[in-house]
Amino acid sequence: MERRSLKIVHYLNQFFGGVGGEDKAHVGPQVRLGAVGPGRAIQEALGKQGEVVATILCGDNYFSERIEKATGEVIGLMKPHQPDAVIAGPAFDAGRYGIACGAVCQAVQNQLGIPAVTGMFKENPGVDLYKRDVYIIETEDSARRMGEAVSRMVNILFKLLNHEEIGKPSVEGYFPRGYLVNEISDRTGAERVVSMLLAKLRGEDFRSEVILPKYDRVGPAPGIEDLRSAIIALVTDGGLVPKGNPDRIEARAATRFGSYSIKGMDVLNPNDYEVNHVGYTPVFVLQDPHRLVPLDVMRDLEREGVIGKLYERFYSTTGAVNIVENVKKMGRAIARELKGDGVSGVILTST
Amino acid sequence: MRLQLDIIHIKDIQFAEKTSIDKGILFVNRQELQEILKEDKRLGQIGVEITHPGEKSRIIQVTDVIEPRAKKDGGVDFPGALGKHGMVGQGSTCVLRNTAVVLSEYRRAEDPPMQPGMPNHGAIIDMSGPGAELSIYGKTHNLVIIPWPAEGVNLHDYRIALKIAGLKAAVYLARAGVNLTPDEIEVYNLPPLTKISKGFGNLPGVAYIFQFVSGQFESIPGYPILYGCGAERIAPTIIHPNEILDGAMVTPYRSMDIEVYGLQNHSIIKELYRRHGKELYFAGVIINVAHDNLQENERAATMTANLVKWVLGAEGAILTKCGGGIPEVAMALTAQRCEETGVKTSMALVHYPTVLEGGDSIVLFNLPKVDTLVSLGTPHALVTLPPTHRIIGELLSKKEIPQVQGEIKIPLNMMKGVLSQIGDSKLTAIQY
Repeated sequence: MERRSLKIVHYLNQFFGGVGGEDKAHVGPQVRLGAVGPGRAIQEALGKQGEVVATILCGDNYFSERIEKATGEVIGLMKPHQPDAVIAGPAFDAGRYGIACGAVCQAVQNQLGIPAVTGMFKENPGVDLYKRDVYIIETEDSARRMGEAVSRMVNILFKLLNHEEIGKPSVEGYFPRGYLVNEISDRTGAERVVSMLLAKLRGEDFRSEVILPKYDRVGPAPGIEDLRSAIIALVTDGGLVPKGNPDRIEARAATRFGSYSIKGMDVLNPNDYEVNHVGYTPVFVLQDPHRLVPLDVMRDLEREGVIGKLYERFYSTTGAVNIVENVKKMGRAIARELKGDGVSGVILTST
Repeated sequence: MRLQLDIIHIKDIQFAEKTSIDKGILFVNRQELQEILKEDKRLGQIGVEITHPGEKSRIIQVTDVIEPRAKKDGGVDFPGALGKHGMVGQGSTCVLRNTAVVLSEYRRAEDPPMQPGMPNHGAIIDMSGPGAELSIYGKTHNLVIIPWPAEGVNLHDYRIALKIAGLKAAVYLARAGVNLTPDEIEVYNLPPLTKISKGFGNLPGVAYIFQFVSGQFESIPGYPILYGCGAERIAPTIIHPNEILDGAMVTPYRSMDIEVYGLQNHSIIKELYRRHGKELYFAGVIINVAHDNLQENERAATMTANLVKWVLGAEGAILTKCGGGIPEVAMALTAQRCEETGVKTSMALVHYPTVLEGGDSIVLFNLPKVDTLVSLGTPHALVTLPPTHRIIGELLSKKEIPQVQGEIKIPLNMMKGVLSQIGDSKLTAIQY
């Protein structure tokens, strides 16, 4: 039985859609029937197996200024064409476009329940935002070698449609989505680590087996001008919580934090606290919680007038085996609450 | 320094009247062994069990695994740890291959587990099924030692006595082989530093930086680690690789994915030996410690890099770690110092995920030139172990028998012999 031709809807920004450059970045979503611009390369890669039935165009500014609303509008325009799958971009190094492609693909998967794929240059911010949820094919920073990128996008799309296994990122050409899977190598780790060093010493090519993460540098906030009138808070990632762990803060990869009253208290009674943290043996903290949350000396400083006031709650979470996104989210939430209460300085203790 | 391993292949272990080896069968006088181990007044009753590959058995509360070995010709076994001092790394050592002494600890509910967050049954070795497939120790004939503490003995003293009992048992078994003709001989011979590179002028010198103790978890005072002494705060030092292979070093109590068996068969040391004189010359081993504070980690990193570059004169260095977070940072810092002095590095690490299963990788560093990494697998991946017939080891409560005997789903790092922080496994974690 011959399979019917698959219906593909393509998403483009105003530039690749031929509407115009920056001056047209404000235009809202609109439909063109059939393939437009890079859509023709997609059509070529699809061959007889599929057809680009419609192209949705949208200005980059229009999209990035109202991501949620614009995504909804784009999905709305796609629906009448009853697509089997969606391709967005490729966006190359265009940041707003990359974010739009990622958002559209994610929404297509979630709301329409069909596969979606896009392509971007490695430094496009859309990669970090959407690579976990969407297959993003790595492209050059411009439309060079677009044919290759498009054929990889189409290849993965067919695999998704046919429920075939997707190979390794290095083979299929997509950005790792952030799932670590154990496999068995043909050689032991010892053999591999010696071979890799020898390759490095000889100046030969080698491929590290672990991709290093990108970390932000956090610049220090300006100093507190008058400590004597400042409210200072205690925050820790050492996992000190009241007995019973009322906020159920996870022992690793925490997504939650808690804040606990120290109002009117001069000391933390060891009997009232516990530590839920897989990264260290908390004996010394359990013996004396001040080793982690120094309430005792902060009260001294408060009495001596060195600081204005100690904030009436301490914040706690678990800093073990976690990802930057989780931690950032918690950090922002904690900072928001503290700033809202007029706190101007934090002593952050870690383990 | 020349070390000869006289290896006897063991096909079976059985209890018998007399401890001896005959045609590849290791016979063990259980009572005699129990009496020897009971000489340590810190220990009470001593369970001794045998289990073989393919059996439906599950060893629980495993704290360490040791290959039976005994020095020949008056050499000293596990110097310091077993009391007597002396030289190791040279002469001949009898090795009983395909066997292991497995230490299973007695734990009360209130005793902290070996690692925080460990399930009540502790670390596991399955002798059949997928667990045995994955583990080195699912494929060896195992003598399991389950010593109980004597009454009134505190936990730290018990845990020290437990390790010593395991070392003693390993030596006791291998003594049965010292007068036999070995089935196989391995020789590890590396001359002094000043002579190593002789004739290999065209080959790169490669050193191994072995981080062997982690300050991440509470250590046990008096635990015998290096020639019977604690080593938690030592400065980096040069050690002959044969000393590590031959009993100078034993693992700390809270060792993560490195057993004494792994030290005796250290796969990176063996690999460097294998390529010595062919693709590289083995410039030596430096042991260092992952401290719980930056000051000491900086000191360790700087001193290690100087030893590699200016004392050993190596052009490259291999690094491994012995724990989780802080050890990883300490290892990366050391690699960075090496790279700064012009020594090229590569490192192998058990590769942590962001969430328990299916998470992204969270390497804790991103430093220039420290970019040559081998993944030794991700430790939290879950494996389902089918029901078993026999539990070997003491549960916290009899009530747990059905649960532990049944199908269990545990992360890889709760099994012994699956992950190896020193590269003795083919596991690798791929980022999908």
